[in-house]
Amino acid sequence: MRVRSDLTKNRRRNAAAIGLLALAVLAAAFVCLFVGSSRMTAAECFAALMKRGSAAQVRILWNIRIPRVLAALIAGAGLSAAGLVMQTDLNNPMASPSTLGVSNAAVFGANLSIIAFAGGFLSTGNNLSSYTVGMNPYATSLMAFFFSTLSILLILGLCRLRAFQPGVVVLAGIAVGSVWTAATTILQFYATDVGLSAAVIWTFGDLGRATYRTDLIMAVVVGLGIAAFAVLSWRFNALLSGDAAARSMGVNVDLLRFVTMLLASIITAVCVSFLGIIGFVGIICPHVSKRLLGQDHRVSLPASALSGSLLLLLADTLSRSLGNGSALPVGAITSLLGAPFFLGILLGRKGGHD
Amino acid sequence: MLEIRELRFRYAAHAPLVLDGVDLTLRDGEIGILLGRNGSGKTTLFKNILGIKKPESGSIRFDGEDLLSMKRRERARRIAYVPQSIHFGALSVFDTVLMGRVSYFGFKAGKEDEAAAAAILREMKLEDFAARNVEELSGGERQKIAIARALAQEPRLLVFDEPTGNLDIANEQLIVEEARRAAREKGIGILISLHDLNRALELGDRFFLMKDGKIRHAGGPEIVTEDALRETFDASLRLVELDGRKIVLS
Repeated sequence: MRVRSDLTKNRRRNAAAIGLLALAVLAAAFVCLFVGSSRMTAAECFAALMKRGSAAQVRILWNIRIPRVLAALIAGAGLSAAGLVMQTDLNNPMASPSTLGVSNAAVFGANLSIIAFAGGFLSTGNNLSSYTVGMNPYATSLMAFFFSTLSILLILGLCRLRAFQPGVVVLAGIAVGSVWTAATTILQFYATDVGLSAAVIWTFGDLGRATYRTDLIMAVVVGLGIAAFAVLSWRFNALLSGDAAARSMGVNVDLLRFVTMLLASIITAVCVSFLGIIGFVGIICPHVSKRLLGQDHRVSLPASALSGSLLLLLADTLSRSLGNGSALPVGAITSLLGAPFFLGILLGRKGGHD
Repeated sequence: MLEIRELRFRYAAHAPLVLDGVDLTLRDGEIGILLGRNGSGKTTLFKNILGIKKPESGSIRFDGEDLLSMKRRERARRIAYVPQSIHFGALSVFDTVLMGRVSYFGFKAGKEDEAAAAAILREMKLEDFAARNVEELSGGERQKIAIARALAQEPRLLVFDEPTGNLDIANEQLIVEEARRAAREKGIGILISLHDLNRALELGDRFFLMKDGKIRHAGGPEIVTEDALRETFDASLRLVELDGRKIVLS
């Protein structure tokens, strides 16, 4: 039957695209493992991977590079999937994982921790070392996470009053986000030079902060979130037809929006709290996936997640190759790398729909 | 059978009533046509029937069951909607029709859902479109896909909100034919709002003339008189009989 064969062709093409993306991610992960400031050769890297090289090389690979590659894989997938979900939930191509003010709030939390508590004016020490030693090595991340969660709950709580109308959510996100930014500015105004630079540097996304423990926490949150999004794929598809149509098909639109925006924002909060701001992955990758493979969430969700991982891996590899020993901020590289590609797809292809 | 009694609705606590005691009865397989000016409450009435909005008071029953307290998915298996403005997102036509089954399958479409969607595409002669991106189709084709998706819900009542608004005359005819076929062949009740009075007179079994949130006249074609039309539309319209058919002249 004609219907069957056409559809099978469609499905094969989508499966092939996702398979190719997965292979590319795997390849990029290996390339990323083999690149770094210690200038190990590929053979040395491979030996270290098998735990056979020199002790230093094994340590570099297993304690520095692998946690970093895992962080790129997990955070890239999480941020990109979160971006896709926010765009569908809010019916807005400009929605991002941080639409609920997550990043601004995380920056405020981290600034508060760094400037006010760790060696800032609320403590006595004022040397660089006190920025890393605190009562808890995760104090800054915890503080960032605390404030981003606060921001999420505040905005979702406010938007409940208006039944999560997309326009209201986006504007409330901008308003609350600007409050966090203002508070950050005031905080930074009172910071010492050292505190200020430490605080600013924190906001540059850096995959080098990842450890096995942070990777595990991110993996659990991102994994659960993406699994939930995957289960809800058909509901998201129905939402593409608009609120009224989705409701008439039996979808609880308000509940769907609330739960998935909350999940997407928590994914973002966890990633940003551990790694700093990694912008644009959550906008570029979902759009590229949708342009190339359509908006069916059964396809666009895995495609977005994989392309997010891929972009972050490539950006990290590049940032460590260009930095001449020290890695450039990966958040800047994702935009530098992603934006031209994004614009090319946006302007080059006719007739896509978002 | 759809039975609406004393339905009242307003958009905000102290806003004026948009539906002010609506009574409406429609039997299975009947085509009911809602006529009225913009803002008379037609779309709001539809939203209440579809469970998109909750009324302030009154009752909506379907085959004796209370629609207002029914679970969303249960309601979606009885009543389907063809909205006024149709947009879907970039999905294939087949997946768009399959989406209509979401109230049956919930999370993952099964073989029987795919078979049901394929059967509807076949019935409506849309097989050639199955793999096409629905966003690339013309307005008339998309309107047909919206009907196909609604039929995939296997509804007992189909609600059309001004389905012919932006269509050319050939496509308009096509939509009207699909509505008639659903009513006559499947015994589905059809509730439809139209602006074209002649189209309405040609298609409808029952007519509901709506003004200021109330149904002022309800019944068969005989209730559509010059006086009733003048009252409903605040415009003087002439009715003439031609070959036993009523024709409205403006």
